[in-house]
Amino acid sequence: MHVVLALIAALSAVMIERARAQEAQSAEAARTIEHGKDIFKTKATCQFCHKWDASGDQGYGGNALSLRQTKLTPPQVAETVKCGRPGTGMPFHDQFAYTDKRCYGITRAELGNDVPPEPNAFLNSDEIDAVVKYLFAKAIGRGPSTYEDCVEFWGTDTRQCEPMKP
Amino acid sequence: MRILSPAIALIGPLLMASALTPVHAADMTFERALNANKEPQNWLLYYGNYQGFRFSPLSEINTDTVKNLKLVFAVALGGLQSGGRYAFGNLEGTPIVDDGMMYVTDGWGSVYAIDVSGGTKGAIKWKFDPGIDRAWAGDVACCGVNNRGVALWKDRVISIALDGRMFAINKATGEKVWERKIADPALGETITMAPLVVRDLAIVGPAGGEFGIRGFIDATDLNTGQQAWRTYTIPGAGEPGNDSWKDGQERWKHGGAPVWETATYDPESDTIYQGIGNAGADWDPQYRPGDNKWAASVLALNPTNGAIKWGFQYTPNDPFDFDEISEHPIIDAKVNGKDRKLVVHAARNGFFYALDRTTGAFIGGKQYVDKLNWTTGLDPETGLPANYDPKSGVQVYTPGTHGMRGEPLANICPSHFGAKNWEPTAYNPTLNMLYIPSIEGCDGIETVAQKDFADQGGTLKPRERFSGGSFKMTGRLYGSLKAIDPTTGDIKAAVRLDFPNYSGALATAGNLVFLGQADGTFTAYDAKTLQQAWSFSVGTGINAPAISYSVNGKQYIAVLAGSRQSPFVMQNDPSLKYSSTTSMLFVFAL
Repeated sequence: MHVVLALIAALSAVMIERARAQEAQSAEAARTIEHGKDIFKTKATCQFCHKWDASGDQGYGGNALSLRQTKLTPPQVAETVKCGRPGTGMPFHDQFAYTDKRCYGITRAELGNDVPPEPNAFLNSDEIDAVVKYLFAKAIGRGPSTYEDCVEFWGTDTRQCEPMKP
Repeated sequence: MRILSPAIALIGPLLMASALTPVHAADMTFERALNANKEPQNWLLYYGNYQGFRFSPLSEINTDTVKNLKLVFAVALGGLQSGGRYAFGNLEGTPIVDDGMMYVTDGWGSVYAIDVSGGTKGAIKWKFDPGIDRAWAGDVACCGVNNRGVALWKDRVISIALDGRMFAINKATGEKVWERKIADPALGETITMAPLVVRDLAIVGPAGGEFGIRGFIDATDLNTGQQAWRTYTIPGAGEPGNDSWKDGQERWKHGGAPVWETATYDPESDTIYQGIGNAGADWDPQYRPGDNKWAASVLALNPTNGAIKWGFQYTPNDPFDFDEISEHPIIDAKVNGKDRKLVVHAARNGFFYALDRTTGAFIGGKQYVDKLNWTTGLDPETGLPANYDPKSGVQVYTPGTHGMRGEPLANICPSHFGAKNWEPTAYNPTLNMLYIPSIEGCDGIETVAQKDFADQGGTLKPRERFSGGSFKMTGRLYGSLKAIDPTTGDIKAAVRLDFPNYSGALATAGNLVFLGQADGTFTAYDAKTLQQAWSFSVGTGINAPAISYSVNGKQYIAVLAGSRQSPFVMQNDPSLKYSSTTSMLFVFAL
């Protein structure tokens, strides 16, 4: 009997530990997504060109593509953030991009005027990972943005989402 | 019973009054504004005078002494918060100085009253924060969080904020007296320009040419805080010029023609000259066949009632985003031996224009930018682009220089940013030289067929971008400072600059021209030769024009610094990639 009780206790302890680990993991994942949002919104100001909901835009942000509709995989999005897109307005964010061949095997000298623009802010690999995780969690593969999405992005201390209010 | 002597009886109340009342400068009056040049110690108006000169009559700092110019104090300002599409606000403002007090703004519209009378430090006496919903306003600011300064009126400071409000502020205390909502971010309208005060009216207009607004010029009665008049920059149905919108679908209602730089004023004829911005959608001229009046134009208006006296359009059916919002200096000069009353303009489209300011007739024009490919010149009679076709709704200027639907990337010189954007010129009336801070180089335009707004049967909602495509950088831009004779348009001196120019010029009677650059270099040039006479690095980008004032006979040069340039503008310029912004006032003296 004591053995059974001990086993149950041990199993419970393992389950509790696992649940705690999962909770910690999901809290960590949520923090990463929130960090990615901050980069998208402010640090790298990706939203200037791609719009707050990543649905793409035109004008002074260039003809920026919709990320909600992109078919790119997470590694491909990460590479695009890191290296930009030569010949377009999409900036690179790795501060050493095109100083060597880390991006698409090409250097600044080889690209000439097709070097992507300098970014608003350089991002390290953790930050690029965070912004990619944010995009896949909140934008990529999702349909048109909703009022709730807007409030989640901008908060409630602004009129920003009023035009989308149902 | 003590008896006061008559003298004490007379002065007593005065002494009491001065003990209780803060010492402050005289009220700002229309008379003082008309005679700003008689107060060389002050910088009372946005351009220094109504005529748009940006010229200081002070000469203690001159070509001989400027070598001893040094930084005497600096003041940290605010406005660096993020909001909407932007990570921080910029400083583009012109300080106003009245009797040792300086009034400056930051990008989010906070006003700072700084006591500079001591000459060794700037003490902030008050700060007025308009309390903007930054996400709401910043999301529809086309090109940065900007505010170009305040105006003075009586004992008040008149300011604006990006969210479209105007404020009257107690000059002594910084307390708001009233506010008025003029422009509406719900429609894509924002305000970035310094108000022009003529008599008791403050005149402004909205930016928003990239968001489908219908531009206007608006006057506020400063005695009541109520609207005095509003004149739309795109004529309404039945008004002269409305037939220059030939789409048949009332697209003029979203046709842009914004206003975001202060007008000049001619007291003699009681006329303001307001530059008008681009037609919308910017890069899809097929969306809006016709000349699209009064986009890319100058309007002469009666400041009392807003009635249009005349208009002159620089680039009909503008396919480039060649706003012509920037200053229109007023100059009296001999042209071909004849006395002429001129209004002149260094246009975004690359030409310098001289117009008869009474009639709007074209007098002369000349290319001032290094490279210009979109037309072959100006018609000597009309001033219209040489390849303008009056019979054509959609203008085909030099093919390949502007976007057309389905056509490959166009290559436009000067770039769509313009040969000169908003950054103001300066004019030295003694030397008769106009100093143009220029943006040199080319870029590309990609047209995308513009979608209609929801109120015109489409899907586009208010506040969404409305630009008919975009631009693409095709190489590095650079800058220049050019001294031209405004009576001929001849370039008398020029200096090439490393960076495209986004600040503005100051000319002084010391025969100097001051100009800041994107890397923080602040330079004085010899006004005759444009040889560098002095230079100092403030270490962060300068996007604002300098001013000059004096206190107790000592001359100062002041400039706001704090901006990081758009990656598009700075493409292929790695030297600026680690630059940071700040928000600072720098003041120099001998």
